[in-house]
Amino acid sequence: MSIHIPILIIISPLLAAFLVLFTRKYKIIFATASIITSIVFILNLSSRVLSGDKVTYHLGGWQGPLGISLVVDGLSFFFSLIVLGLGLLVIVYSMPERSYGRTYYFLLLVSLSSMIGVIYTADIFNMYVFYELLSLAVYLLIAYPKTGVTLRASFNYLIMGGVGLSFFLLGVGFLYAMTGTLDIFHIADRLPAAFNSSTRMVLMSFVLIATGMGIKIAVFPLHGWLPDAHSMAPSPVSALLSGVAVKIGIYCLIRVVYTAFSTEMFFLINIHNLLMFLGVVSLLFGASMAMAQTDLKRLLAYSTINQLGIVLIGLGIGTELGLTGALFHVLNHAIMKSALFFCAGIMITETGTRDIQGFSGFGRKQPAITFAFVIASLGMIGIPPINGFASKWLICLAAVEAGYTFLVVIILIASTIAAAYYFRVIQVLFSSSLKQGPMPAHEGGQVIYRGNLFKSWPIYILAAGCLLLGFLPTLGISLVKPAVSLLLFHVVP
Amino acid sequence: MTPINISLLVFMIGLYGVMSKNNLIKKIMGLTIMNGSIVLFFISIGYRKGGLAPILEKGTTGGIPTTIVVDPLPQALMLTAIVIGISVTALALALIVKIYSKYKTLDIQQLSKER
Repeated sequence: MSIHIPILIIISPLLAAFLVLFTRKYKIIFATASIITSIVFILNLSSRVLSGDKVTYHLGGWQGPLGISLVVDGLSFFFSLIVLGLGLLVIVYSMPERSYGRTYYFLLLVSLSSMIGVIYTADIFNMYVFYELLSLAVYLLIAYPKTGVTLRASFNYLIMGGVGLSFFLLGVGFLYAMTGTLDIFHIADRLPAAFNSSTRMVLMSFVLIATGMGIKIAVFPLHGWLPDAHSMAPSPVSALLSGVAVKIGIYCLIRVVYTAFSTEMFFLINIHNLLMFLGVVSLLFGASMAMAQTDLKRLLAYSTINQLGIVLIGLGIGTELGLTGALFHVLNHAIMKSALFFCAGIMITETGTRDIQGFSGFGRKQPAITFAFVIASLGMIGIPPINGFASKWLICLAAVEAGYTFLVVIILIASTIAAAYYFRVIQVLFSSSLKQGPMPAHEGGQVIYRGNLFKSWPIYILAAGCLLLGFLPTLGISLVKPAVSLLLFHVVP
Repeated sequence: MTPINISLLVFMIGLYGVMSKNNLIKKIMGLTIMNGSIVLFFISIGYRKGGLAPILEKGTTGGIPTTIVVDPLPQALMLTAIVIGISVTALALALIVKIYSKYKTLDIQQLSKER
């Protein structure tokens, strides 16, 4: 039983997804129970993984380069913990919505299980298959309200995502042509030999994979789909997309860049500067576009581009401190951004508008939610006692240490712009003029439940998480440590 | 012109279709062409000139085959990729049907003007 745990983590939500389709009454119970089961399984592995061990599971007993194997190491453990933790909160948050039927939970569970599939699998083609499954579920989740804008946003994402994954698959094809294997660790072994004989092929495969994942992460010139998709989707789905789904792209990029392409190749191709440049551009672009938005969810969507720029900068610096900061920021951004999207969902249903000016007086009606919103947005800006500060600080330290002082200046400028747009929202929330909302309930005419327990508790939990990681950043860093040492020093063979 | 070069050329044609066409259906056609080019690419990786089907005959015990065989792995992968491509296309067409019934147009320029 215990050796089968890695596959059980993937199967449990997948099985529940199909069970959910058959019952109307128990759909939420099945969904929650399956995610909790997976979390229990993961925690079961935690002591082994955090001590630096690696859990490998060969599917069907086929070893090595022939079969598909699932690998739980520091990096995949860290990302799967984010996915499942936020997935559980997203399900809890969507409970009170009566308009979400069985298919909604089905798609949610399929997307969660395929995310864990992407994270655990060591086979690069299998990674593509899971990613495509995840994308299909996500396109449908965005289009779930079936209004015109959501359909258009979903279609745009489908086109961009389809192109991105085609690029990824072509890159995988080049890797297979050079190395003759699809297992990512075997590719890492055989690639240096291929690099000497056919440098251009290696470059080509890297460029294709990086472009594909760049579309999925929405780095600056390839971001076109993100603002629509993230802002038009139903609020829990926005939280899932912004908090988790983009992180899967970052995971794939890290996995392929750091594991398959070894460190020596790294300096030859000069990936550092590339990642750093993309990070800086999307950081500044996201910040300045968010400044111009009047729609709250669109503002949050552009802010995602901004924050992912910081993660890319951290990855680009590539020192131990930089990677720690980048991965820690992935965790922090997941927590803060989903808290913000959850709050935005409540604000939009209560006031009936998406316009920031329409939220005036909300702070007096719902002080607790507003307090959580303020905490999370302060974290986004990077004000000291909140978690966003800790990771930004680490990245800034790493930049100074590696001699890129101008990066610190750029991050600080972007933080100032972030402060400008978040304070604009906070100011409106606390302003006293109680303008009455012009429209009734938004988002597909769903029923408003005032102060619902299931809707507010996920927000409180996430806000508490922000404060906890802000006061005790060592907690998050100790979670990231095994992943970083794995990436840089290959401690685990 | 090796098959690999041709497949890359076809890939670019598909990409051009996705990027430059205004009609949603034509964009999906571009996506399908890209998918087809990837299939061609993988199959031509696995091709060996004069290779046989990779089937172990009765009596032989595996190990290194004495005759040249075609690499079967890319073909198996492409079966999966074709199925995925079809499901993406099906979903896209379903979305197009819904979009058309809402807006009565498939032109992306006109769609972006609509609220």
